[in-house]
This record gives sequence, C-alpha cells and structure tokens, in this order.
Amino acid sequence: MPQVKIIAKNFMDMVASLTAIKLDKLYNNVFICEAILRSLPPLAKKYVLQLLYTDVPVPATMLEEWVLADGVSKHRAAIDRMIQLRIFMETTDRKKGTSYSLNPTFQKNLQKHIISGGVLPREPMNSNNAIKLPSLQELETYALQQWECFLLQLINSGQGEKLTGISSSMMKIFQRGLLSQRDRDGPRLTESGFQFLLMDTNAQLWYIIREYISNAEERDVDPAELISFLLELSFHVTGEAYNLNTLTEVQRNTLKDLADLGLVKLQQGRKDSWFIPTKLATNLSVSLADSSIRKEGYVMMETNFRMYAYSTSKLQCEILRLFARIEYQLPNLIACAITKESLYNAFDNGITSDQIITFLQQNSHPRCADRVPSIPENVTDQIRLWESDLKRIEMTQAHFYDEFPSKDVFEAACDFAREWRGLLWEDSKRMRLVVKSEVHNKMREFLHTQSK
Amino acid sequence: MASVASKLYSDDVSLLVLLLDTNPFFWSTTSIKFSQFLSHVLAFLNAVLGLNQLNQVVVIATGYSSCDYIYDSSLTPNGNFESSGSGMPALFGSLLEKLEDFAAKDEELSKEEEHEDRIASSLLSGSLSMALCYIQRVFRSGHLHPQPRILCLQGSPDGPEQYVAVMNSIFSAQRLMVPIDSCYIGTQNSAFLQQASYITGGVHHTPKQLDGLFQYLTTIFATDLHSRGFVQLPKPVGVDFRASCFCHKKTIDMGYICSVCLSIFCEHHKKCSTCGSVFGQSKLDDVSSVSNKKRKAPDT
Repeated sequence: MPQVKIIAKNFMDMVASLTAIKLDKLYNNVFICEAILRSLPPLAKKYVLQLLYTDVPVPATMLEEWVLADGVSKHRAAIDRMIQLRIFMETTDRKKGTSYSLNPTFQKNLQKHIISGGVLPREPMNSNNAIKLPSLQELETYALQQWECFLLQLINSGQGEKLTGISSSMMKIFQRGLLSQRDRDGPRLTESGFQFLLMDTNAQLWYIIREYISNAEERDVDPAELISFLLELSFHVTGEAYNLNTLTEVQRNTLKDLADLGLVKLQQGRKDSWFIPTKLATNLSVSLADSSIRKEGYVMMETNFRMYAYSTSKLQCEILRLFARIEYQLPNLIACAITKESLYNAFDNGITSDQIITFLQQNSHPRCADRVPSIPENVTDQIRLWESDLKRIEMTQAHFYDEFPSKDVFEAACDFAREWRGLLWEDSKRMRLVVKSEVHNKMREFLHTQSK
Repeated sequence: MASVASKLYSDDVSLLVLLLDTNPFFWSTTSIKFSQFLSHVLAFLNAVLGLNQLNQVVVIATGYSSCDYIYDSSLTPNGNFESSGSGMPALFGSLLEKLEDFAAKDEELSKEEEHEDRIASSLLSGSLSMALCYIQRVFRSGHLHPQPRILCLQGSPDGPEQYVAVMNSIFSAQRLMVPIDSCYIGTQNSAFLQQASYITGGVHHTPKQLDGLFQYLTTIFATDLHSRGFVQLPKPVGVDFRASCFCHKKTIDMGYICSVCLSIFCEHHKKCSTCGSVFGQSKLDDVSSVSNKKRKAPDT
C-alpha cells in the first residue's frame, strides 16, 4: 500500500515545532491566541475555557475526573497537544503529582479577548470612500480563479496562459515534492503531486502555505513573524479594504505573494493602496475538516462507468484526466469514462482507489450527493477490485536458512521463528526455512547458542 | 437520518440558541443584578463564538408577555472582533440596544394586558417555539449546517398555563434531535426545564452561586455535542414530571386523563373539552366504579 506522503494538517503542527521563546512571543498577540484556541481538539478547547479563570495549577488527577472512561484516549491527546503548544505548563510535585496550569500570557490575552473582544491593528476603509469595492461574489470568483490559475501553472510548470506574478524560484519551491524533474521528458507529477491535486482547496492551500513558511528563512523572513501575520490576516473581514500603509515592509512583500495565490485582492486607490482579504484568507484559521468554502460538486457518476462533469474549468478537466478517459468536451460538460486502463494509469502514478473514491464523493453533483451512496456501489467496488488486482504479490524482506546439522536443531529453529512471528516458509524434508529479516538477528543468536 | 448526518460539519461546530429570561418581575427579586448576569452571559457568548470560526449564536429574549430575537451572529460575520472603541465589541452594542428596545416594548405589552393574578412567569413557550423555528430554517437551508442546541437561561417560575405549548415544543425538539440545555437560576424548581432537558437529552443544572455563573456556563453548557460523549456532565438528580391540568392550568400530582386524547383534568367532567368524547357516569368520590375512566398519577 503506497503511503500517503502529503499530510496537509493545519499548520498548528508547524507552530508547535517553533522554539519555546518564539511561541511565547507569538502568544503576545491576542489573535494568535484565538487562532490557536480554535485549532485545538474539542476537548482541549473545553479545558482551556474551564481553566480560563483558574490561577492555581490543577492536578492531573482532577482533570482526568472530568472525562468518562470512553474519552481517556481523547483526553490524553488533548493534553499532549496543549503541552506541545505550550498552552499548558506542566509542573511535577513529588507529593501532589503532576499538575497543569495555563500559559499566563495566553490566559491573560484570552480573558481580555472574551470580555472585550480584540482590536485589529488596522481599521477597514470607511464605506463612504470613493473607491468601489468588489462584491463578495466577485471576490470569491476572483479568489478561485487566481487559485486555479496558480494550480495550472504549478502542474504545467510554466505553460499556463495567464501567468501569475509568482517568481519562478518561488514556484520551484512549491513544485518541490510535487513534480519530479527528469532529464529528457521534462517535469512529471510525482505520486504526492497527484494526491495533492485530489485534495480539496483548503488542504491544498495549507500545503502551499506550509511550503511558503518553511522556506521563509531563505528569504530572510522570520517564520514566526510570517505565521503571526497569516493568522492575523484570517481575522480580517472578508470584502473590507484595509490600508497597505499599516503593514511593515515584510508584510507588504508577503501580501504580494498572497495576492497571487488569491488570498487577498490588491486595489489601487487615488492616494493609498488597499488590500481586500478573500474567503481563502479568512478561512486560514479554520480547522481543515470544516472548510466552509467547499464548492458545489459537479461530477455525476453512472453505473455504466461513465462520468459527466459539469465544469468549464481547465483544471478540473486535468484532474479528471488523472484517472479517467476524457471522451469529449462540450462548453459546460466533460464526458468521460472510467476504464481499467485509465485506472491502471492512475495507480501507476501512485493514486490509491480510496483517494479516487473520496474525490468522486466529495465532488459529486448535488443531485447525486443526495442519493445514498452517492457513487454507484458497483463502480466503487470495481475500482477497489482493479486496485487489488495489482497487489497480488506482497514483498517481504527475508533470509533463507539451510544446511541444518540435525532435525532437532531445525525444529527448534522453526519453533523459535514461529514464536517471534517471523516464519514465512519451511520445508522439513530438506530442512530449509525462510524467516523475516526483522527476526534474522535474533535467529542468528539463537542458532549460535544451539550450536554450542 | 443518513442524509442529515452528511450535512453536518464533521467536528464540533455548534449553533447555540440562547433563551434569555428578561422578566422584570423575576429580576427585581434576585441577589444578582441583571447587568452582572448579562456580563457573565456576554462573556460566555464570546467564548462560544471564539471556540470555532463557524460557531453561531442566536439570542432570544424571553419577556413577561412577549419574546423576540435580539442577536444573531450569522448576520454579522466576523463582526465580533471589531471594537467600537469603548472596549465593548460591536456585537454586544447591537445586542444591548435591541434588548433595551425589547424590554420597553415588553413593558408596554404587559401593561395593556389585564393584570390578573397571573404568576410572574416568562413566555417560555413562545421563545422555545421561536428557537425551534430558527433551527428548522437552518436545517432546511444550505447543505452544511452546524449542530444546533438550545440553552434556556431561566429564572422565573413556570407558568402552568403554558404547559401544553411548552410540552409540544419539547416534543418537537425531541423529534428534531435538538437537545435543550437548561440553567435554572431562580429559587424554585422548574418542572418544565427539568422535563425539557430530560426528554431531549440535554443537561439541566441549577447553579448554586450566581456570581460564578460564567464558570458554570463554560464548564457545563459550552460543551459541544461532539464532546458530550467523553465528558462528565451533571446528571439529573430527579425530574419533576408533574403536569398541568387543561381546565384550570393548575399543576397537579394526580388527576383525570381522557382515555381518547390523553388530556389531563383536575376534576371530573362529563365530556372531554379537547376531543369531545363523552365520559361514563362514574363520579369523582365513587372510587369503586372507576372503570372506564382512568385515574392515575401522571408520573407513572
């Protein structure tokens, strides 16, 4: 089973990997505290709220009393996460055992936020100003267009019609891991590249943003600063214009890149320039599972393996081409078929059947999405069958043993291997056996003791 | 219900409909001032909104003789972060304004009403139905919606005359699988709220100290439906199942029930006032001949 290489978790993992000093500095910003709170697992959120006005450390045993027996694993996960993010300070006392308290800066900021709300460092433009702002609808179309354009450029590596302003060096960074550069036949999508295309927009966005941040140091930008700016951005109001003058130099440069991704729209006024956050930006702090920008589906799958996709987008056509045969294209409709060949092609490229099926389910046309199941069962079954056809052989690293001195030694060796669950094959007549590599060292020691 | 489940967000996104008791007759008798109470509640609302970007809060004021929506967070997207300068988030500016208007209107209405010897109860039935209507609208609109729950912050005593309406709301909430949480801050016990939480699977709690209300609210009532499976929450000690009779709207322990439509009466009638079925001739005092009419305590 090919491993899914791209795990687009929200970038709180990245925040968690920052050094302690930087983390503590981040918590000075109210909005980051808020965004971190939102990213926590539900139980952890509850603990934070519950301890918000508690000043003394709370013993771990008391925390455990709050959960039912079923929730212990979730409880552990929540606590670990909070310690990782330095929201919980752990103190161990020999008498009282472990106890936890909230990070004081985090606590103070959150208290302030809950009572009086936060104040953004910049005010939106007055509505009576002369510049005409785009409507929310226009803004969303703009954002998605921009994003699609970026994706096309990403996979076509420079063949897109309308080029975004992203520098080619930056593009190379994004393509790292998604495309493999081969000498002759040009760049090709890698396994993770294909998987990337099948993810939903928010997950893709996170992946790109993560690459962007991890690359920040090469551009002399402090990653912590970048993270804090991105999180702050997610608290701006969609569709309102904010003055560019309120930003620092670094932030302004960042914003230009973000505009190319469709996160913000830049607008030139008479005197000042403005930026307008789009939905893509304000969704940054939402946990991945709940992307509210989930688009309407467009794919209809039929029981005869034919697929109709109501779409005008070139990108979506490219995505379908990953695992289906495009038969013809009408102005608003792509007709294709899922065949054994097209699927084998996809499996060759490292796409799994589960990914294809979830993609189809997530993008199924509203009419089909109402049906249960939304994708005909015979199709999903067949996709899985075709995949398992390719996996009839399982490879295991192993060692081969023969020339045992006696039957007894051979049998003892077999039993030993069986005990360690490493026996793959034995031939007692000719005294030969095959053992998994993991057990090889133990086996060798065992045989040494036997031969003495 | 598969299609309903698929329309939910996967995680802990919740829609909280808060029914706020604004009954002046109650608030004139309490140890805690309404303004103090409100500051706890507002902090709580802010906390709920802070937990998840998609969380939604609706506040319905329950007055003495009317009720109305006073706040809906979906109408002001992201608005809770803008400050109007005075340190008070804009969210609460509009909420307080509406609340003031509401209180004035409610007072006028209650003056118009003939002042009988009515118990100073709030119009709980009205606000419950408004909450359910709102939730129904959320269910029907769009393909993704948050998980709704209702929280009653009630202090006034029950109004037995609302019995039927309240019970009907409770049963429709049960059908919609919307839990009704209740936080009773009055001095008596509220049978309505106990039953509502019991039937719909919500949490009922009576805080002992009102000055720590925020802690109670966040500890118990901020728990989203997803986490309720793993967390210890207060369990009902006992539920007051007493009903009100349909004829005089009195709360009764024992009474007569129409065998056809299950209407409850405190005394014997010749004919059911609800469905019109004619009862047999057995008399109230004549215990021996209670044959075609059932006499029972409603809590069995």
